[in-house]
Amino acid sequence: MGYEPIVNQNPLRVLKAGLDNTKQMGLVMARAGLGKTALLVQISLDSILRGERVIHVSIGESIEKTRSWYDDILQSIIKDSNLSKPQELIDTVKSHRVIMTFKESSFNRPKLEERLNDLIIQDIFRPNCLVLDGFDFNAASRQDLVEISELATAMDLEIWFSAVSHRDDDRVSESGVPAPCHEVEDLFDTVVLLKPEKDAIKLDILKNSGTAGNDSQGLSLDPSTMMINRD
Amino acid sequence: MNNDLKQVRNIGISAHIDSGKTTLTERILFYTQKIHSIHEVRGKDGVGATMDSMELEKERGITIQSAATYCSWDNFDINIIDTPGHVDFTIEVERALRVLDGAVLILCSVGGVQSQSITVNRQMTRYKVPRIAFINKCDRTGANPYRVTQQIRDKLALNAVMLQLPIGLENDLKGVVDLVTMKAVYFEGEQGETLRYDDIPADLQDDADEKREELLDTLSMFSDELMEIMLEEGEPSEELLHDAIRKGTLALELAPVLIGSAYKNKGVQKLLDAVTQYLPCPTDIENTALDLDKEEVELTVSNDPEDPLVALAFKLEDGRYGQLTYIRTYQGTIRKGDSIINTRTGKKVKVGRLVRMHSDQMEEIDQAGSGDIIALFGVDCASGDTFCDDTINLSMSSMHVPSPVISLAITPVDNKAQANMSKALNRFVKEDPTFKNYVDSETGETIISGMGELHLEVYIERMKREYKAEVEVGAPRVAYREAITTRAEFNYTHKKQTGGSGQFGRVAGFIEPLEEGEYEFVDAIVGGSIPREFISSCDKGFTKSLEKGTLTGSPITGVKLTINDGSSHAVDSSDVAFQLAAQGAFREGYAKASPVIMEPIMKVAVEGPSEFQGAAMGSINQRRGVIVGTVEEGNYTVVEAEVPLSEMFGYSTTLRSLTQGKAEFTMEFDSYKQVPKSVSEELIKAYEEERKNK
Repeated sequence: MGYEPIVNQNPLRVLKAGLDNTKQMGLVMARAGLGKTALLVQISLDSILRGERVIHVSIGESIEKTRSWYDDILQSIIKDSNLSKPQELIDTVKSHRVIMTFKESSFNRPKLEERLNDLIIQDIFRPNCLVLDGFDFNAASRQDLVEISELATAMDLEIWFSAVSHRDDDRVSESGVPAPCHEVEDLFDTVVLLKPEKDAIKLDILKNSGTAGNDSQGLSLDPSTMMINRD
Repeated sequence: MNNDLKQVRNIGISAHIDSGKTTLTERILFYTQKIHSIHEVRGKDGVGATMDSMELEKERGITIQSAATYCSWDNFDINIIDTPGHVDFTIEVERALRVLDGAVLILCSVGGVQSQSITVNRQMTRYKVPRIAFINKCDRTGANPYRVTQQIRDKLALNAVMLQLPIGLENDLKGVVDLVTMKAVYFEGEQGETLRYDDIPADLQDDADEKREELLDTLSMFSDELMEIMLEEGEPSEELLHDAIRKGTLALELAPVLIGSAYKNKGVQKLLDAVTQYLPCPTDIENTALDLDKEEVELTVSNDPEDPLVALAFKLEDGRYGQLTYIRTYQGTIRKGDSIINTRTGKKVKVGRLVRMHSDQMEEIDQAGSGDIIALFGVDCASGDTFCDDTINLSMSSMHVPSPVISLAITPVDNKAQANMSKALNRFVKEDPTFKNYVDSETGETIISGMGELHLEVYIERMKREYKAEVEVGAPRVAYREAITTRAEFNYTHKKQTGGSGQFGRVAGFIEPLEEGEYEFVDAIVGGSIPREFISSCDKGFTKSLEKGTLTGSPITGVKLTINDGSSHAVDSSDVAFQLAAQGAFREGYAKASPVIMEPIMKVAVEGPSEFQGAAMGSINQRRGVIVGTVEEGNYTVVEAEVPLSEMFGYSTTLRSLTQGKAEFTMEFDSYKQVPKSVSEELIKAYEEERKNK
């Protein structure tokens, strides 16, 4: 699509996502308000710039609010990249993204599958990547996650979740994945933990495409723009 | 009319179509004794509701124009603007909101927050209008005011708090529990005119206690005194609660929710109480005007009736006795016999008759102070004009006016119709800034354009009924535009030397896309290669060229034209010669600047039961639509999309048959976008055919 320079310079390349054709399952974790959605939107936009189609599922959030996340982050990308035809990119994003919003109480796997099928069977929109923001890991069982993961495999989708961790819950898995995901971390290929530090929010990459590690590789979120940076 | 502005309320009633605005207004007028009988919107008595004064509105059961009306309740004077619910008429809604101080947002207890409510709410936020919500139709099957209140929080992002609980719902709706006074209120008598206060029914007591607790919690944010009383576990006074609700509402941080059923005469009087208690008076609101003598510096109007007059004409109507102009005064006093100045035209006009409107009846008055809504007779102006006395020159800030997206050709059937049609068009253009008309210079047809099919249909009907102008109507056409995508140079010489005085002019420069704005002309001529007196001729020539693009004959927008060279002839150069040279130069540059066709894209929302979501998305996809997103709420879903207007003709029929009439859609203009290549080729071909056949 001609956006290779932006894609190649994206600090997200540290995460091995999108490099080969294997569709992985990723997880972004943080305490409330640290930038999970901002990071998910950047992961989503990175997919779109690579020519993929994304369905962004927002649980408990409105279309407008989700869209404004995209608009803001896209504006930052445009500003940084000096594109000659920014409108083209804006239109590309629009046509490569569908936002689905669900109320917390009305989200479940069968419903998600039905909605995805509405789009896929009629050939309206064939997604390659699914972003699930606001999924309630506290209320979900391991089986629920397994089923969503199977759905993603059947539909050949990469999938990214966000999860909220809590300061007062110190349960943590061996590799450092905090509750409420400490017992399901094995289902994920990539796990990124956002940690507030003095002037930035560090990205702790606990797992990168199946490889364990505990290194930020210099990645952080700029707290003012919420854009990902590499030292 | 009250001289104390604290006792005045200027309110609007806005909502989704069919949520019962007109019925509610009718009841308000009945209870405030402005009318003495109740007529239903689609009632069997054939009289129609009082606010729907236009014949067409009575027939279709929809409110097209916002009729202003006045009533009084409990020593308060209330001016009500009944606003239309259909998106095609949003200019009416916006104009009404501009002059209002507060609003009642009506929601249907079954349908809840629908797309139009979202649009109206957005408009209210834009004009900073404090609002209270009224959940109407609680007598309907499936009524659920609790769910709707939650939707107000989720979808409208308002801090909604219920001030009442229903006593019974659907067929059993008996009255409401007032959570401020903790009393049950019943509406008795044949038309609910007698209020009976009683103890809260035992089975609702727990619910009421719980909701009251929630209410106090929310309100404590707006009153330190209340917070203290609550910490000491004391019992706050009613007055304290009213004050806290009012404070939160005025700060746009709270949306009190009332419930009832206007049709069944339940809850309306309590709503009127809430209007007087919680909505702002004219002095609570800060309004600004632009000082035309000081480079449009913004300043706040005073609301003082002793200051020089500032009034805004927000609506025109053609009455039996000539033009009726609705105005809102922002400061000063307007008196019969005064001379006032229209600051747009600079013309002085004399105030003849001054009236207070009650739907289509009126009351003569001698003067009106600041903050009032009244009407003038026989004053020539357009809506949106500002009137001042001769000591100041202000303009109320301009209103956001969207450009028309659809047009159609109309041809009068005979000479009489021709004359009547011109009269009607003159009137409509003044009444409604989104309605435009012009005569196509090539076909001689009159073209009218507006915001949607229904918008134009209504005007055609009005032409027939009110002006006896029978017209033949062409197929609706999308208002395409043309634009350029690259920079291109031009260097054109216009030369004509056949007998008599000749014509000569050479114009050179470049054309480039303009990001913002429609047209910009830059004179970069140095050394007088084009004499000064002919520069404006070039500008005129370019402007003329913009009227009709070469691809489809649509207007060209977003163009910057720079001239930097040229030549002239001492004898043969003239205004006309340079205008023609500029037109030739434009043609040359335009062809090289990769022109494209732009089409209006509409923001479309399809709402209906979830089972039809697939069908709805399919139908949008077939129409070149881009699906923005979907909203899932229980068994109800909304599909939001952006669809070219040209693909939306006849969509209501398609959607009805796809969904057994269970889904509905609304649309509003979003933006202009370049049409895809295949469509562009078709349009160009069709235009060429059309030209050949002329």
